[in-house]
Amino acid sequence: MTKENRGSIQVIDCQILAHYQFAGDQHILTMDSPEIAKATKPGQFVHITVSDALLMRRPISIMSIDAENGTFDLLYKVVGEGTRQLAERKIGEVLSVIGPIGNSFKMTNKKRPLLIGGGVGMPPMISIAQSIKDSDYQPFTILGSEAPFPFDEKAANNAEDYAGATHTMPLLEDWGVECRLASLQNYEGVYQGYVTGLAKVYLDGLSANELAQVEVYSCGPHPMLVAVAKLAKEYNLPCQVSLEEYMACAVGGCAGCVVKVQTESGPAMKRVCVDGPIFDAALVF
Amino acid sequence: MHNNLKTKFCGMSLDSPIVLLSGCVGFGEEYTRIQGFSNADVGAVCLKGTTLEPRLGNIPHRVTETPSGMINAIGLQNPGTDVVINEIMPNLDKTETRFIINISGSSVEEYGEIAKRFDDTDIDAIEINISCPNVKEGGVAFGNDPDMSYRVVELCRKNTTKPLITKLSPNQTDIAHSAQRCIDAGTDGLAVINTLMGMAIDTRSRRPIIGNNQGGLSGPAIKPIALLKVHQVYQVSKHHNVPIIGQGGITTVNDALEFIIAGSSTVGIGTALFYDPLICNKINDGISQYLIDNKLNSIDELVGTLTLNSAISQCDTSSDK
Ligand SMILES: Cc1cc2nc3c(=O)[nH]c(=O)nc-3n(C[C@H](O)[C@H](O)[C@H](O)COP(=O)(O)OP(=O)(O)OC[C@H]3O[C@@H](n4cnc5c(N)ncnc54)[C@H](O)[C@@H]3O)c2cc1C
Ligand SMILES: Cc1cc2nc3c(=O)[nH]c(=O)nc-3n(C[C@H](O)[C@H](O)[C@H](O)COP(=O)(O)O)c2cc1C
Ligand code: FES
Repeated sequence: MTKENRGSIQVIDCQILAHYQFAGDQHILTMDSPEIAKATKPGQFVHITVSDALLMRRPISIMSIDAENGTFDLLYKVVGEGTRQLAERKIGEVLSVIGPIGNSFKMTNKKRPLLIGGGVGMPPMISIAQSIKDSDYQPFTILGSEAPFPFDEKAANNAEDYAGATHTMPLLEDWGVECRLASLQNYEGVYQGYVTGLAKVYLDGLSANELAQVEVYSCGPHPMLVAVAKLAKEYNLPCQVSLEEYMACAVGGCAGCVVKVQTESGPAMKRVCVDGPIFDAALVF
Repeated sequence: MHNNLKTKFCGMSLDSPIVLLSGCVGFGEEYTRIQGFSNADVGAVCLKGTTLEPRLGNIPHRVTETPSGMINAIGLQNPGTDVVINEIMPNLDKTETRFIINISGSSVEEYGEIAKRFDDTDIDAIEINISCPNVKEGGVAFGNDPDMSYRVVELCRKNTTKPLITKLSPNQTDIAHSAQRCIDAGTDGLAVINTLMGMAIDTRSRRPIIGNNQGGLSGPAIKPIALLKVHQVYQVSKHHNVPIIGQGGITTVNDALEFIIAGSSTVGIGTALFYDPLICNKINDGISQYLIDNKLNSIDELVGTLTLNSAISQCDTSSDK
């Protein structure tokens, strides 16, 4: 590690400003921290103490920030004891947060980012969308979920129908970022199938010139990421994925969170917390 | 830094009795990512366990939370002795703290060879890890056999004039006997204790959560065990002026004080950093204040000051449930 990384991560006591529950035991948590709101780059995460009873922290991606009010939002799903205890925390309570952590997505000269988020892998995609909404990028976002979506999906203003997908996430709509939804469930206006199926529909509708401008960004369950990486390879598109692994320190100290990455000198075990969580899909799958 | 925290350990002058523990802080720089964290706030930093050749380490998952602690099985992932010496050590800021290399071998000779290589560097001390529970060969296999421990320490002693600290395993029947053998073989200090072996099972898949199946348990869950081990080792080490780095679950000022009273000259912080990366100064402040409140001039005056209760009561057995 080089000395310029010194002091890049903060330990902050953050107050809970809002905490909404959605179907499927999904929650959106808004916390107060001008520091994190200011410093966060898309794809970064926080390492959060969920309660006094559980000492180990939990890593959660930063979904969006409000730079003006100095707040940030997390979307998480209850899957075990840690997230269960987090869900019990009330507005006004203060939690210790370490962040922002991680290498963040790299926005390249490809001007048509395709953002694919599945389940609680949606937040990093929303975070990218927020960071480029006022730029010359023309992102297309695909969000997939088997639980009800943690927002009220609504018909997009732009009436483009992608094989039955007409609905979008209101927040992305407000930002002017085109988005469509996918699920195996039969939801109105939602593509019935996998996110990769919808991605194919989108990609096949692009001209060769447009296709050459696509870079794929993705986060979600492991099987989904494998499928997305495969799709990107088929279409010969660069692809960045956000990975998860169990963590202890989240600052690079313990080598607890590694994944196998191909490097020029053979396979290496890289830390998801500080070498990632974003990796080149071609090197990890 | 508080003046009353300055202490000597195996010939090294330390600004604080806190030692950051091997495997928890990478190769010294990692925690400086945290704003407000400084290596200058601790007496010494033990670098990640280093082997002669590079190691990729174990498959994931490598860490998981358990009640009041965690299990890890990293498998000594490290870039190997040469890279540590040539690429990592030159970047360590030696004005901030003392650096201790933690070494592991799969044979007595390999331990000796690594010690010899570090003898030629400006590392401040060498910690011999004969207690790693997470590798197939070496590690705890040496630590659980007092004669093997003796041979490892003896050869390292021959190969270096650096201060030698031997890290003992709690996974053995008579830690005090082992400590005695390491002292006989020439160790300057002892680290007590490494992690205890443990397991966690995913009841959905009915598989161990840890990729390596089992791993080392650390954190508050092991503190009472570690404390007793320090007490037992101190009964031997005090006769030879061999100081101890007490460790195992220290998370509060009171924990640190307990270890010092039991016989540790310095206290190790590992897992606690994962909970609170800024814990060191809280512990520094607390120890310093305790010394002032108890009219003690230095840590030395507190080390091993435990007074045992006079005898186990024979008259009241009503509580012996
Ligand atoms: C970089 C990163 C970003 C993440 N972002 C989000 C997010 O935005 N929203 C969200 O809902 N979840 C996210 N996760 C996953 C989240 O961290 C886990 O769901 C959570 O730690 C589970 O904790 P638990 O105690 O409820 O579950 P349990 O299964 O009871 O956890 C037991 C242990 O395993 C660890 N663990 C279990 N599953 C995971 C996992 N998938 N990743 C890492 N550690 C795990 C826990 O931290 C804990 O130490 C992210 C993970 C990583 C690494
Ligand atoms: C993730 C992790 C990695 C570790 N790696 C090493 C190691 O490489 N060498 C070693 O001697 N001890 C290693 N240890 C043991 C610690 O140095 C320490 O002895 C132990 O964790 C007890 O202290 P604690 O409860 O304060 O963490 C490791 C511990 C943890 C949690
Ligand atoms: S969690 Fe410790 S190195 Fe990533």
